[in-house]
Amino acid sequence: MVSFRVPLWIPAAFLAPALLGLLVFRLGPILIALVGGFTGTTLRGDTVYVGLRNYADLAEDPTFWSSIRVTLLFNLIVNPFQICCAMGLALLVLRPTRGVALFRAAYLLPMTVSIALTSVIWSILLEPSVGPVNGLLRALGLPPQPFFRSENQSLATLILVCTWKGAGYWMIFLLAGLLAIPRELHEAAAIDGAGSWQRFLRITLPLMRRPLAFVLVADTAINFLLFAPVYVITHGGPAGSTALLMFEAYQAAFAFLNHGRSLAISTVILAIIGVIAVLELRLFRAAHERAE
Amino acid sequence: MTKIARRGLGRLGLAAGAAATLGGGAARAQTPTTLKVIWMGWPDNQVNPLMEWFEKRNPSIKLAVEKIPFNQIFQTIEVRLQARNADPDIFICDSPLTASYGARGHLMDLTPHLDASRFAKSALAASTYDGKLASAPFGSSMQVMFYNKALFKEAGVAPPPADVAQRWTWEKTVEAARKLTDAAKGQWGYAFEQSERPYQLLPLGQSLGGVALSPDGFKATGFIDSPAFVEAYTWMQRLYTDWKVSPQGQFDPNIPVEMFGNGKIAMLVAGTFSVATLQQRFPNLDFGVAPIPYFEKGKPVTPTGAWHFAINPRTRNQAQTLTFLNDFMTEELHSLWFKLRPYPPVLKSIWDSEKATFDTDMWRIVRHELDNTALPRPATPGFREYEDLVRVALRDIQTGADVKTALSGAAQRIDREMQKYR
Repeated sequence: MVSFRVPLWIPAAFLAPALLGLLVFRLGPILIALVGGFTGTTLRGDTVYVGLRNYADLAEDPTFWSSIRVTLLFNLIVNPFQICCAMGLALLVLRPTRGVALFRAAYLLPMTVSIALTSVIWSILLEPSVGPVNGLLRALGLPPQPFFRSENQSLATLILVCTWKGAGYWMIFLLAGLLAIPRELHEAAAIDGAGSWQRFLRITLPLMRRPLAFVLVADTAINFLLFAPVYVITHGGPAGSTALLMFEAYQAAFAFLNHGRSLAISTVILAIIGVIAVLELRLFRAAHERAE
Repeated sequence: MTKIARRGLGRLGLAAGAAATLGGGAARAQTPTTLKVIWMGWPDNQVNPLMEWFEKRNPSIKLAVEKIPFNQIFQTIEVRLQARNADPDIFICDSPLTASYGARGHLMDLTPHLDASRFAKSALAASTYDGKLASAPFGSSMQVMFYNKALFKEAGVAPPPADVAQRWTWEKTVEAARKLTDAAKGQWGYAFEQSERPYQLLPLGQSLGGVALSPDGFKATGFIDSPAFVEAYTWMQRLYTDWKVSPQGQFDPNIPVEMFGNGKIAMLVAGTFSVATLQQRFPNLDFGVAPIPYFEKGKPVTPTGAWHFAINPRTRNQAQTLTFLNDFMTEELHSLWFKLRPYPPVLKSIWDSEKATFDTDMWRIVRHELDNTALPRPATPGFREYEDLVRVALRDIQTGADVKTALSGAAQRIDREMQKYR
């Protein structure tokens, strides 16, 4: 066997740009948020240490708690919903039939539009008075809907828009996972008389745990950090029904000039994502271990 | 003029780099200074001529102007100022924000550079913070009610008179609006131009005797949620949810003006500057002008306040920014500006030099309102927070939220945010 040693600097050099990016764009800001949550800013812009005051203020603030409720509710629905849609799309485009590449591309297309542009496009499409979607509903003899302008519909509409944008993206990961499942397993099960539903439950799902775990954790993190559609379309309204935590953090910093509060909210978001990601990974790992 | 700052600066950087490499110090000295300017995103033909006029007068100064849309401008300025560096050199400033920027050290003291005797009293008051002139008055404002003559004729409704003594009440306005609304044609009877902005909507509550903020400028509870404002905004809500005479959710102020121009709105209360837009974009539109209505049991109150501009005290180009200030305060520039976008002038001399222009129904109404009914927005260093929270409440009210709950919620949050200024 031929063996040769790679000098350490070569992998280090390859990894350096990514690690630097991680440090500058991820770990650095996290550190700033952790420290900044204990600080306040004077009117003249000087930073002062305030201890736990920002967190104490948050604990007493009904707006913050309402935002926590909205964010959790949003994530409780949007993450499973997006992943179900992504899985459904992946299964639809799995078989190599004629024109399937066109469908794969079509489902992936929303991903190529920036989230800010997505927000603008959908705010126009769903505009209650002059928007084309309501125009279509009227033409079909159906009552027009308020969408983002209604306290009862705004969060659901936000979830649908995010799913339109995200499902195709997550589909790609799940499709890769589906394609990695050996075809022989399905063939053997079919010979043994298993129906397609049974094969999905007994073969596909268990073997998809790893890709699903990744998609669930990544999707959760992204959706907890959702900001642009709220900023562009709803401004947290109507009546706080779409006031996600990230928007509250933005408002605190740039509308209410309170950086410490903003960073404290960011830290809370990070902590929530951390806890939920650990829970999700455990859930999938436990199941995986059981399967073994 | 460089339209997009980053690209402009990139080009400038390249040019400067090349000059430095090729010609050394001498070439560098010839490179014009670039001032970074954040300006309102008014139509290009209302902004570019001003900047071009300045650059022509001052070949050694280039302007990198970022024109930011109305809905983003205050957040954009905030983000940039909070970095506390030399960017931007100059920025446009909504006059009630003068105290907010001043309290946080974002304004250069302009007292030694402005001749106070040249300005209207209200403009000076709005530009003063801590006894100093902190922002440069650039245009006052007033709103009037525009109405579409053809739609009135078609509906057989007598239009509102231009005479301020015969000003319509809001009750009469709604009565007419209901006759002028035709859902099948997508035609609305009435609309506010800025239907979520305290600027346009505070006068409704003030017309019923409400006071928008405590006299010391730090307390909203008991003021913005007082019975007068609850009553006024309940009435406003009914325009959208009950009588359905106004298009709901049109928060971009350009849209109602477009709809009015296209004959989709019969009456529109909007700024005087809309005249320019309407005449240019809709030359065949036959419209009249009337004063802003008032509540039958109240008194007429109209909005005012203005666009100023300010200089970043951290600028590294102080001499050039002062040249900008001086040139932008000349009568020649203000006269040009007035023709491009007719805000009520802040320079007293323009009212005299443009006498013929002001001899119209609209300007007669404007002069009356400025002298008798105009009420500026509350003076407080926390206006940024105040405006944002009241704005969200007004959005919610328009879309059906309980009026008292929305206003009280906003008031409590305003009080909390004001604490830092006490």
